[in-house]
Amino acid sequence: MPVIELSMTGRPKSGRVVGIDLGTTNSLVAFSAADGPRVIRDDRGEALVPSIVYYDEEMKRLLIGEEARDRLITEPRRAIYSVKRFMGKGADDVQEDLKLVPFRIAADSQRVIRFQMGNRVFTPPEISAFILRQLKERASSYLGEEVVQAVITTPAYFNDAQRQATKDAGHLAGLDVLRIVNEPTAASLAYGLDKKKEGFIAVYDLGGGTFDISILKLKDGIFEVLATGGDTHLGGDDIDNRLISLVVDEIDRRTGRRIESDVAVFQSVRREVIRVKHELSSSENARIAVEPLQYEREISRTELEALMEELIERTITPCKQALKDAGLSADQIDEVVLVGGSTRIPLVRRRVEEIFKRIPHTELNPDEVVALGAAVQADILSGGSRDLLLLDVTPLSLGIETMGGVVAKIINRNSTIPASASEMFTTWVDNQTGIDIHVLQGEREMAADCRSLAKFTLKGISAQPAGLPRIEVKFLIDANGILTVGARDVRTGQEQSVEVKPSYGLSDEQIEKMLLDSLEFAEEDIKKRQLIEARNEASTVLAASEKALAQRAAELIGDEEQQSIRDAAEALKQALSAEDHRLIRERTAHLDSVSRHLAELIMDNAVLSALKDRKAEEVIGD
Amino acid sequence: MEQTLERGRCPNCGAVASSHFCSDCKRIQPVRSNVDYFEFLELPRLLAIDEAALEKTFYSLSRALHPDYFMGASDEERQASLARSSILNDAYRTLRDPIRRVQYLLKLEGYKEAEKRAPADLLEEVFELNMQIEELKNAKKAGDEQEAQEARESLEEALTGLKQRLAGIDDTIFSLFSQWDAAIAAENGSGKTVLDDISELLSNRSYIRSLIREIEEEF
Repeated sequence: MPVIELSMTGRPKSGRVVGIDLGTTNSLVAFSAADGPRVIRDDRGEALVPSIVYYDEEMKRLLIGEEARDRLITEPRRAIYSVKRFMGKGADDVQEDLKLVPFRIAADSQRVIRFQMGNRVFTPPEISAFILRQLKERASSYLGEEVVQAVITTPAYFNDAQRQATKDAGHLAGLDVLRIVNEPTAASLAYGLDKKKEGFIAVYDLGGGTFDISILKLKDGIFEVLATGGDTHLGGDDIDNRLISLVVDEIDRRTGRRIESDVAVFQSVRREVIRVKHELSSSENARIAVEPLQYEREISRTELEALMEELIERTITPCKQALKDAGLSADQIDEVVLVGGSTRIPLVRRRVEEIFKRIPHTELNPDEVVALGAAVQADILSGGSRDLLLLDVTPLSLGIETMGGVVAKIINRNSTIPASASEMFTTWVDNQTGIDIHVLQGEREMAADCRSLAKFTLKGISAQPAGLPRIEVKFLIDANGILTVGARDVRTGQEQSVEVKPSYGLSDEQIEKMLLDSLEFAEEDIKKRQLIEARNEASTVLAASEKALAQRAAELIGDEEQQSIRDAAEALKQALSAEDHRLIRERTAHLDSVSRHLAELIMDNAVLSALKDRKAEEVIGD
Repeated sequence: MEQTLERGRCPNCGAVASSHFCSDCKRIQPVRSNVDYFEFLELPRLLAIDEAALEKTFYSLSRALHPDYFMGASDEERQASLARSSILNDAYRTLRDPIRRVQYLLKLEGYKEAEKRAPADLLEEVFELNMQIEELKNAKKAGDEQEAQEARESLEEALTGLKQRLAGIDDTIFSLFSQWDAAIAAENGSGKTVLDDISELLSNRSYIRSLIREIEEEF
C-alpha cells in the first residue's frame, strides 16, 4: 500500500531568497537548503567569483570574475577590482587608493566615483551590479528558477552612503534587496545556528579591504549585537600593497628605472605577492619570482610579519573600543569567531588570541561563512525560520549640524536598529518658508570632521513670524542601517515635504537612467541571442534545401523552380555573413516557402514508395 | 496605571485596539500618538526595575514586532512594524540604563532637561581646578615639560576625587529610586520632592561629568 505523501503541504513555492557576500576580493552566493545553508558552486566546484569586471575596447565583451582576472595583466586599465573600496565615496576620499590601482576615474567624480573605461564611465554600483548579476545567474541556473530576492552583506562599519550604494548595486542587477546585513553578524548566524548556544561572542572579520569587530550576546535564539567597530579601509589589500612596494623598490633599485608606472608589470608583481602571501600562511619561507623582470627573492614569514605588523595592530584599538562599548572585559567573551580571508594569517590569529584570551573558532571556511549567514537571514526573511532573530546596531552616531558647525548627536552609535529620533525645528526669520538640515555620521564634535550624509530641506512652510512654525522631523534608521527622514507640521498635523540632497551617491533619477542603460545592454544581449537563433534556423533550412535539390525527386520540378530555390539559398548565405537577424529570418522564410513544393513532392514520393514497399510486403506476406 | 495614550480603532477590522496587535484580527497596529516608553514595555512608571524581566519583555516584543517577520505583509503593516520596532529599541535603550531611565521619567513628569550646575560645596574646588587646567595649558604651550608634569599630577589627584564624587551622586540617585516608587504606591503626593532632589543631583552629575571630560582632554 502506498503511503500518502504529506510533504506537498506547507508554504506555496514563492521566489527563493538568496544570501550574497559582495566582497572586496571575492563574492559568492548561498541559499538555504532543507538541511541548512549551502554555498552555490560553479561546474568546477568553485564558490568564489573574483570581484573583477572587464570591458573590452569596443564595450562589447564583458568579462566577470575568473575570466576578468587574466585581463588584470594583459589590459590592466580595463579590469576593475576592489570596487568595494570605492562604494559610496567621492573623488576626495579615494586619492590614495587611486595611486595604487591602474584604472582611472573621470572628472565629475565628486559625489560618486566614475571609472573611465574607454569612452564610457561606470560608477561603483554599476560595476558591483555586474558581479551581482553573475551571482544571480549562477543561483538561478542552480536552483532552476529565476532568483530575484536577495540579502546582501556589507561591512558592519559601512556608513549610510556605502550601504545605499550596495542597495543601488542590487537594484541595478535586477535584484530586490530585502535586507543589507552586516558581515560579522551574518557570520555569527552561520556559527550560532545551534539555538542552545548562549553567551557573549566576538566576531573578528578581516577581509580584503575592510575590518570589522562585533560583540554579540546570544540568548534564546536572539543574536543581539552589543557593539561594533572597525575600519572600512583596512584589509588584505593593504598587506598586498606593502609587499608590492617592497618588490617594486627592489626592482627599481636593481634596474635603475621606475616600473611602477608600467601597469602590466605592476599587476604581475601584485599577482605574485598575493600568491606568496597565501603561501606564507602555511609555510615558513617562500620564493617571490617575477619572471619577465628576472626578479627573484626569498621571503620568510617573519619578514612578512614585520611588514604587516602595524596594519594588524590597527585592528586592536577598535576591538578594545567595542569591548568597552559593550560594557564587557575580554575575559567575559565566551567565544571568538574569525571571518574573512585575511584571518588565515598566523599573526592575525595570534593577536586575536592574545586580545580575547581564547582560541578562535575557524571551523567554517572564513571565505564562505558570511554568505552562509546571509542565506540564514534570507531564510528568516522568507518566513522559513522564526527561531533566530538578529538585532543589529548602527555603527556610527547620527547627528545634525547646529550653530557654529557643531554636531548635535541624535542617535548614538551602537543603538539597536531600527532606531529613531525626533527633533523640533522652527524658522529664524519672519516668513521663512524653508529650513535646511544637514545630517552627518561620525563620532567627532565638528561637522567638518564627520561624514556628511545629506542635506534635507523642509519646504513649503507657511509664512509666519520667526520661531512660530513647529516642524517635527523624524529620523529613522531602518533594519538595513539606512536613514529615512520624514517631517510633520505639528500645528496642522500635515506631512511636510522634504527634499533630499545626498552628499554622496546616486540620485533616484540617476539610478533610473542606469537601469534604462542596463536594459539597453540587455537589449544587446537579446539581439545577440536572436542572431544566433536566426543563424541556427537558417543553417537547418539551407541544409534541408540542398539535400532536397540533390534528390531524384528534384527532377519532378522544373528547372525554373530549381533555380529559384538556388537563388533563395544564395541570398540567405549572403545574409548570414551580415549580422541582421531580421534579414536572415526573412530570407530563411523565403527559401522555406520556395522549396516547400519540392519538399512536399519528396514527402509524397517517400509515402508512395513506402506504400509500394508495404504492398509488396503484403503480397509476400500473403 | 492609566492606559490612555495608545487607543484607537484597528484600521483593518475596526475593533478598538489599545495594544501592539488588534485583539480581534491580530493585525499589528499603527503608532497613533506620542508613546510612553513605560507603557510600551508593559511597565508601571516606577524607577526600580527588574532588569532580567525587562530583557525578557524586550526579546519577546522583538520577536513579535521586528520587520523581519513582516516582509510579506501589507505596506501598512510593514510601516507599523518598523515604527513599533524602532520605538521598542529606543524604549529599551532608555529604560535599561538607570540614569537615562530617571531622566526620561523626569521629562514625563514635566521637568526640563537638567542643566549643568556645580554642587554648592564644589565651587571653591572648581575655581582651583580651572586654574590648574589653565596652568597645564600654559605649560604645554611654553613647552615646559616639568611644569606640565606637575600640573598633570595635581589634576590627576583632583580627577580621582571627582570620579568618586560622581559615583557617590549616582548612589544617592539610585537610593532615591525606591523613595519614588514608595511615594507612588502610597499615593500621598510626596513623589514631587523626590523628583526635585533627583533633578538637582542630575544637574550636579552633568556638571561634574563635563568637568572630568574637560580635564581628560587636556591630558
